[in-house]
Amino acid sequence: MGAKEENDAHGNILPPIEQEIVDELDTKVKKYLRGESANLEVLQDKKLKGQLAVREQLYGKSAKAAAKIEKWLMPSEGGYLEAEGVEKTWRIKQEAIAREVDILSSRNQYDIVLPELGPYTLDFTPSGRYMAAAGRKGHLAVVDMKNMNLIKEIQVRETVRDVVFLHNELFFAAAQKKYPYIYNRDGTELHCLKEHGAVLKLQFLRNHFLLASINKFGQLRYQDVTTGEMIGNFRTGLGRTDVMQVNPFNGVVALGHSGGTVTMWKPTMAAPLVKMLCNQGPVSALAFHPNGHLMATSGKERKIKIWDLRKYEVVQTLPGHAKTLDFSQKGLLAVGTGSFVQILGDFSGSQNYTRYMGHSMAKGYQVGKVSFRPYEDVLGIGHSMGWSSILIPGSGEPNFDSWVANPFETSKQRREKEVRSLLDKLPPETIMLDPTKIGAVRSARNKEKPTKQEIDDDMQTAAEAIKGITMKNKTKGRNKPSKKAKKKQELIAKAKRPFLEQQLKEEESLAKKKQKLSEQGELPSSLQRFARKKTT
Amino acid sequence: MKEKKKRNKKIDLCYSWLFAATINTIYSMPDEKRKVAEATASVKMKYNKKQKRQHKKHGGSGDDKRKRRGPRLPSSMRKALDGINSLNRSDEDIDSDETPDFYEYEEQLPQEESKKNRRFDPVENYEYELPENFKDENVLSDDDDDENDDSGMKRSSKQLGDDVEDEDDERHLRMLEGITGMPTTAFEGKKRKKNLIISEAYPESEFNPSRDVLDGNGQISVEDLLEPLQGKSGYSKLRKRMQQMHKKSTSVQAPLPKAEQEKLERKAVYEQSKKDITKWEPLVKMNREAPTICFDEDTNLGFSTVGAIASAFEPRTEFEKKMASLVNDDKVKEAHKEDGSKLLELNKISVEDYLWDRNHIAKMRSLLFRHELKRKRIKKIKSKTYHRLLKKDRIKAAAVEILMDPEAAKEEARKEEFKRAEERMTLKHKNSSKWAKRILKRGLSVQDEGTRAAIDEQLQQHALLTRKMNTTKDSSSSSDDSSDEDDADENSAGSDQDEASKLFAKAKEKTLKVLEEDDEVPNSGVLSLPFMSRGLKKRKEEAIQEAKLALQEYESSLKELEDSAGEENPRIGTTTGRMVFGPVKREAPVSSKKIKTDNYYGNSDSEDGLEAEDTDVGNGMNDDVQKNVKTDSVTLHEDSEVRDSVFKGFDDIVRDPGQKTSCDVAIFASGKWKKMKSGNEVDANIDKSTKVVEPSLPDHDLVEAGEESDTDSEGQMVDGILSSGPKTSYELPSQEELIRLAFAGDDVEEDFEKDKQEILNQENPVPEKPNLIPGWGQWTHIQQKKGLPSWMVDEHEKAKRKREEALKKRKDAHLKHVIISEKLDKKAEKLHTKTLPYPFTSKEVFEQSIRVPVGPEFNPATAVGALNQPQVKKKSGIIIKPIKFEEVNPHEKTEEHKRSGQKQKTNRNKGNGGKRTQVRPVVVKS
Repeated sequence: MGAKEENDAHGNILPPIEQEIVDELDTKVKKYLRGESANLEVLQDKKLKGQLAVREQLYGKSAKAAAKIEKWLMPSEGGYLEAEGVEKTWRIKQEAIAREVDILSSRNQYDIVLPELGPYTLDFTPSGRYMAAAGRKGHLAVVDMKNMNLIKEIQVRETVRDVVFLHNELFFAAAQKKYPYIYNRDGTELHCLKEHGAVLKLQFLRNHFLLASINKFGQLRYQDVTTGEMIGNFRTGLGRTDVMQVNPFNGVVALGHSGGTVTMWKPTMAAPLVKMLCNQGPVSALAFHPNGHLMATSGKERKIKIWDLRKYEVVQTLPGHAKTLDFSQKGLLAVGTGSFVQILGDFSGSQNYTRYMGHSMAKGYQVGKVSFRPYEDVLGIGHSMGWSSILIPGSGEPNFDSWVANPFETSKQRREKEVRSLLDKLPPETIMLDPTKIGAVRSARNKEKPTKQEIDDDMQTAAEAIKGITMKNKTKGRNKPSKKAKKKQELIAKAKRPFLEQQLKEEESLAKKKQKLSEQGELPSSLQRFARKKTT
Repeated sequence: MKEKKKRNKKIDLCYSWLFAATINTIYSMPDEKRKVAEATASVKMKYNKKQKRQHKKHGGSGDDKRKRRGPRLPSSMRKALDGINSLNRSDEDIDSDETPDFYEYEEQLPQEESKKNRRFDPVENYEYELPENFKDENVLSDDDDDENDDSGMKRSSKQLGDDVEDEDDERHLRMLEGITGMPTTAFEGKKRKKNLIISEAYPESEFNPSRDVLDGNGQISVEDLLEPLQGKSGYSKLRKRMQQMHKKSTSVQAPLPKAEQEKLERKAVYEQSKKDITKWEPLVKMNREAPTICFDEDTNLGFSTVGAIASAFEPRTEFEKKMASLVNDDKVKEAHKEDGSKLLELNKISVEDYLWDRNHIAKMRSLLFRHELKRKRIKKIKSKTYHRLLKKDRIKAAAVEILMDPEAAKEEARKEEFKRAEERMTLKHKNSSKWAKRILKRGLSVQDEGTRAAIDEQLQQHALLTRKMNTTKDSSSSSDDSSDEDDADENSAGSDQDEASKLFAKAKEKTLKVLEEDDEVPNSGVLSLPFMSRGLKKRKEEAIQEAKLALQEYESSLKELEDSAGEENPRIGTTTGRMVFGPVKREAPVSSKKIKTDNYYGNSDSEDGLEAEDTDVGNGMNDDVQKNVKTDSVTLHEDSEVRDSVFKGFDDIVRDPGQKTSCDVAIFASGKWKKMKSGNEVDANIDKSTKVVEPSLPDHDLVEAGEESDTDSEGQMVDGILSSGPKTSYELPSQEELIRLAFAGDDVEEDFEKDKQEILNQENPVPEKPNLIPGWGQWTHIQQKKGLPSWMVDEHEKAKRKREEALKKRKDAHLKHVIISEKLDKKAEKLHTKTLPYPFTSKEVFEQSIRVPVGPEFNPATAVGALNQPQVKKKSGIIIKPIKFEEVNPHEKTEEHKRSGQKQKTNRNKGNGGKRTQVRPVVVKS
């Protein structure tokens, strides 16, 4: 209503409803234009200018069409709880919600109590249709969430630390006592990924088909699940951690460490892309907003921080501790601690998270994992006594795109999608902090060392430049060609000198390195007693 | 042609003039007649005529020609002359004298035209000058006759009358003069009319231009001539024409120099062509600007079926025509229609044809026969030179053919290959023939020059033929070897003890050799030092001992091999790959495990069971062996030669079966093998053992340890012992205190700072401080006081500054709590462009231009096609026709451009299919 009134106040010619539609479309068009067009006026090249102008128009048309489609084909809007008067949204209990919602939705409120194989961890498929649950004591289950049908459950008789779906519900990986395993839907063990070791946390990068794992020794591994190739194996060097989360926007894996640092990794670099000190205490949980710009971390020092990853700055610091964090598709943040789950919401649009809802489990239930179910207003909670599901209005995306994720997928569609996604599989090197920069010009500062060939070429050009110089004639009798030639030679030598010197320096440094290495290498035992004792 | 046309035109013009003149004369005729009647014939008249002629010849033929050019005088001058003439009319005596002087240079006028020059005609005074010119008259008389042939003929009839007329005219003129007081010239016009008839008897040509051109004094105008015609039919027409001509007449200027002319012409042509070409501009521009150009205008590809193509076939060549005439013959067609019987009739061959055919065949046969005979004769020729020459010719021809024809070249290559193979097989040229053997037996030196040369040549040929063989052998040798090895493997796999025993024997031999070798201790160098030599001795002893041990082992294993030849096989069946390593663990595991711990953490875990170890050994065993061998070789190089030799022996042994052992171990699974292997390992590990680094366990700090215990005690957590109340109930200050306590001494920020500094130093290394190497760059101690040379300091400063700048430029320069790695990901380099693609000049514009994805996943279906259209759309088989001109409104088009996207463009482009290829040349011209 507020928006409507504002428009009225502007007093535009269009009737209010149409005006609203136009405004809405405009914002959507802006979204699909993906940024401003370049200023073509500065271009000198008329042809290019013309081409770009045509291109821009096409983009505009496309964006407009897309906006229209979005407007008319995605009609459902997400709702959320609205409090009236002194009411507070976080005081509204699940029971109160259950009374209001339809039967189908109320079915999503339940507690599954499985006290024996306890604490449970959960993972949903991207469509939200299936859920994998893993009990610490070896219980693995795949559940169809639509009809609450247990597809398969197995007991692996080993500690299971984490479970994650691969590209579809047919496969899932479980981090067990010593190695992670890959099972299919029927519970058949397909692979034992021994190289990963005792994995604490698993993540699957859907667009890259990479299974990322962090093991007990702080080793981060990436394995391509299509080829089985080990893409990356890095020692974090920051100790043991079980806090790992993939940034859905760019595929960068973030790890939370005991020093309060969060490191972000890509599979083709052995050093972290970013290392940031997020908390004073050890990082206990980590979550990314679906748009990739926001990161929530919680530390043992009882602070939850929300970071803007574009600026690497804290947006908000909230008090409290979190064992687990999760962002919903619509940007709600679930915080699980003890037996209490709190939902924070950002309704002002200024990234100011405030309390939205809360839910406390039965006493003694330790929440181990919270996970929003995609395309549903449901939050799955894995805890020490099983798992629970509660309704969080406004958490899920109301409109699904069947090309992206289809909760009502048929097996044929699934098959087709599998093939398509395999064809669209991204190579691991495309994981970078800003994937929109792919195809752009490489920044000059990051220039690699000039190759030997390039150096040689530079040297040659320098020498050539000298050769082109005409020497001044000296006074009569002093003007000897031999001297001229000599002088020229000298000049050339002088021009070449810096290049050669540099080369020499490099070689020297290389030799030094080699020497160091060889020093470290052993002396024959007979000479060892003459070796200088190293000062420690 | 042009010339002719021009002339015709001129003639026409002249005719018009003539016409006018004749008319004039016709109408003046009655006058004349009257005059004639009046006049009386006189001698004087005749004389006058003669006089006239005489005057003409006066200057001589050559001079007269010049005279004709008189009219080219500037008109002003001519007027002056005329004025003088008219003035002189009164006192003719003087005048007559003077006129020739004035026209002195005109004397060269051509004779034949002089008559036309009527200036002189009216002047009767010449009579009086008679004495002057009289002499010449007779001399030039013959000339005169010739000259006046045609005119004279005409005149002869009228002569009498004319003369009378002349006389009359004179008088009449004078009379008029007397009456009016005007100069004679004013009245001349009338008289001239009469003269005109006479003078214009010349043939019309450009050499005798019409009169007014000649004298140009304009005394008689066209109007004058027209006047008498007034009121006659056709007058108005004539007058109109005259007027038109007057209007049009302009002065003609001298033509410009040729170069200038051409330049102007070119300029004009250029202007014209420019204009011509500019009309293409909008069209070309449109085509250039169009994002896509379509060539699918006419989709009719012509013939589609074979039948259609056949029906459209038209015979073109002679042969085809003949065929068509035969095929389409009515008779044949009819015959086909009815039945085959008629075809037979049609098939009849005439006797002549048959005879011709027969004769032809006979002729060919005889030719063939003769050819054969010739070949036979040639074949019988025994002359070597002849055949050599023949062969040479043939080779030459073949060489040419090879160059021309790839098929022949291939054939030739094959032949060569065959020859080579043959040579390799037969060794025909390797002095294996009887002849060669005999010669060799007798000794080469005894032979004469020719034989030696022949043998040499043969050998050379052999070398030539086998050269290729050698090269191929080199390349294939490896594969041969490998196959040999494979064979050996197979043999061994088939429990071939011989192979193994052989290997052992070989090894034994080698060790023995090493033992027997007497090593001389070097007398000089580092190795000659007493402690070194001591060390060497010690080492040698060790080595010898080892060698002995190895020898013993070899022997024992050899024996065992021989003993248990029969027992081997069953054992293979029972033992598996894993089980093999059971007994080995005695010695091997120590080393292997140590190595393993380097790269495999899992083993250090207490939870690890035996199986893991086993499997690992399975993987690592061979690696270990090889690693050891490698390390050996590395250390050996540093070590003394003695050791080297000893270990080389081992090395060889180990290496020999090295490639195989992996499978050997698994397959044989015999204790002996294992033993041997382990022995090797132990040998190799003896000096390695010192090297083995303790596995660096990941250092967990206290917190982690705490976590570890957490996970250990997970069972407790399940029971729900932990307090369930929300933790917010904790009092915050106390919590903070707790944290402070928990992380006492854990200054996270400082640690991070340190970390950051470290990384910064790593990525932007601190420049090394310059320091002088003692003795370098110094002559005496005096210089030392000066300190470092300035360039060194400068360089250091520069490097420092550079580093600082680099640090400032870093993205994390202002973020205390963030380290953003500046490291380059080489693999991701390929995802960026090194340079801006061509038309772009600014990075921003380029990046902006690629910001929108183009694929079907990111765009609505309506826009995808437009976004991904190719530059040129063309269906296969369409002929791109040259560009055709068509009117294009550039402004309108651009608007359209803006207004609509793809559809319009394609539509618009449809109209001008085939433009693109043709546009270019047009543009180039302009």
